[in-house]
Amino acid sequence: MERFFQYLFDGLSLGSIYALLALGLVVVFRGTGHLNFAQGEMAMICTFVVWQFNDWGVPLVLSIILGMIVGFALGAGVEATIIRGVAKKSQAGVFVVSIALFLGLNSLAAMIWGSLPPEQLPGLFPDEPDDFQRIFGAVWRYEYIGVLAVALVLMGLLFLLFAKTKFGLAMRAVASNPESARLAGIPTGIVLASSWGIAGAMGALSGTLWGGIVGELNAGLMFTVFIYASAAATLGGFDSPGGAVIAGLTIGVGEQFLAGYFPGWIGQEMKLSAALLTIFVVLLVKPSGLFGSTKVERV
Amino acid sequence: MSLLEVRALSAGYGPVEVLHGIDLDVDHGEMVVILGANGAGKTTTMRAVSGMIGRSGSVTFDGVDITRTNAEKLVGMGIAHVPQGRGTFPDLTVMDNLRVGAYARSGGIAADIDRWFAVFPRLAERRDQRAGSLSGGEQQMLAIARALMSHPKLLLCDEPSLGLAPLITQEVFEVLKKLNADEGLSVLLVEQNANLALKVAQRVYLLETGTVVASGSAAQIASDDAIRKAYLGA
Repeated sequence: MERFFQYLFDGLSLGSIYALLALGLVVVFRGTGHLNFAQGEMAMICTFVVWQFNDWGVPLVLSIILGMIVGFALGAGVEATIIRGVAKKSQAGVFVVSIALFLGLNSLAAMIWGSLPPEQLPGLFPDEPDDFQRIFGAVWRYEYIGVLAVALVLMGLLFLLFAKTKFGLAMRAVASNPESARLAGIPTGIVLASSWGIAGAMGALSGTLWGGIVGELNAGLMFTVFIYASAAATLGGFDSPGGAVIAGLTIGVGEQFLAGYFPGWIGQEMKLSAALLTIFVVLLVKPSGLFGSTKVERV
Repeated sequence: MSLLEVRALSAGYGPVEVLHGIDLDVDHGEMVVILGANGAGKTTTMRAVSGMIGRSGSVTFDGVDITRTNAEKLVGMGIAHVPQGRGTFPDLTVMDNLRVGAYARSGGIAADIDRWFAVFPRLAERRDQRAGSLSGGEQQMLAIARALMSHPKLLLCDEPSLGLAPLITQEVFEVLKKLNADEGLSVLLVEQNANLALKVAQRVYLLETGTVVASGSAAQIASDDAIRKAYLGA
């Protein structure tokens, strides 16, 4: 039972990081109908930016806020300058461009920071060996509690933004019917760029939380997280923010259970394949995901 | 001076020009209908007037040249456009649809929503339902109510009867007629159902392959034998 709670808790905490990145994928997908393959790499770059500010002596919390602002600017800038122009000409082009961004950002990070020895990103929360609480016999490290709390608070704020503000209403309107949104006076360009910006800022936070847990920064930081986040977005449904959160947490927990209870034949090596298998099976059996909507429209 | 003055308007999609320089006016408080066969350029005219597609020529609204104004600015100036077939936000509730309609302004929004619920009682019953789950007629009424939430001076309405049962179409036209008569709302209407349109509109433009081939009062057009044969099937 002790192991059960340990896996459950570790899974929720890691899953909240996947959920943050998955939420970024969903926000972009809802707004523009594109899957941003560069989401993880944008998050990785922003994590380096956070480290850089912190290394220059800026306090960590302020560095994270600056990193999220850079993430917003990066996301919004990419949408407004590269994606929008390509999307007008070809939808498939966006796919290729986001793959190119993935590779470009990865090389860029390696070029700027790669020659340094692996960077240590200080954790946001106390991380000494005895910084934990025992609950149901499981070790609840303060760092993991903190990650889960920060991720849940940000998601809560995001849902308030979607549901309660005029800007959230505009985002939902643009996602539902861009043409009528324009006719209602909504500046669709600003709304779309902001969706990408919000996704970028969430990526920055998810990268920083993940970097704090891993402890070491490199250009491959977000690769596995991105796979898990994609699995979460697929499982939850690409147009369902709530689904992304639930599926992200589920995948985090599932990953811990699989690797923990079946160390022999799944273990640490095969659990990434399990995530890919999840994507495959969901697309085969229920392409709209668990909470995604199949378009209802009557004319 | 007319509320809407369109001069030598040309527009199209990419290299294909669909409208070849049309002139068109809508006076204050007037209901004008554009008739024509499929592919005549009716919808293109609407889209060109509201700036959804590239255009040349000139469009003047309420004395202001709007030829180069963005579509999203026009609603604030007083033009509301109900596009063909999909004027609603299917994933949003009826309430949210109406709130989006008031996006470009502020104040008195709740009172306005109540007002349109009084005009369209069936929308009030479905206020928390997603628009995509409404019937075709209810969606068309919602699209019109959504457009009117912006307090327009001119309503562009693109084929409101499309896909609707005759009785529902009647009902939609009654509402448009009433708004035009009681509140002086100017309406530019595109319609395939010529018989119905001629009953509510004061003036008519007849469009054929992107040019205006005839125009006049509804009574004149309705009594022209050649036009009756071609468009009214009698």
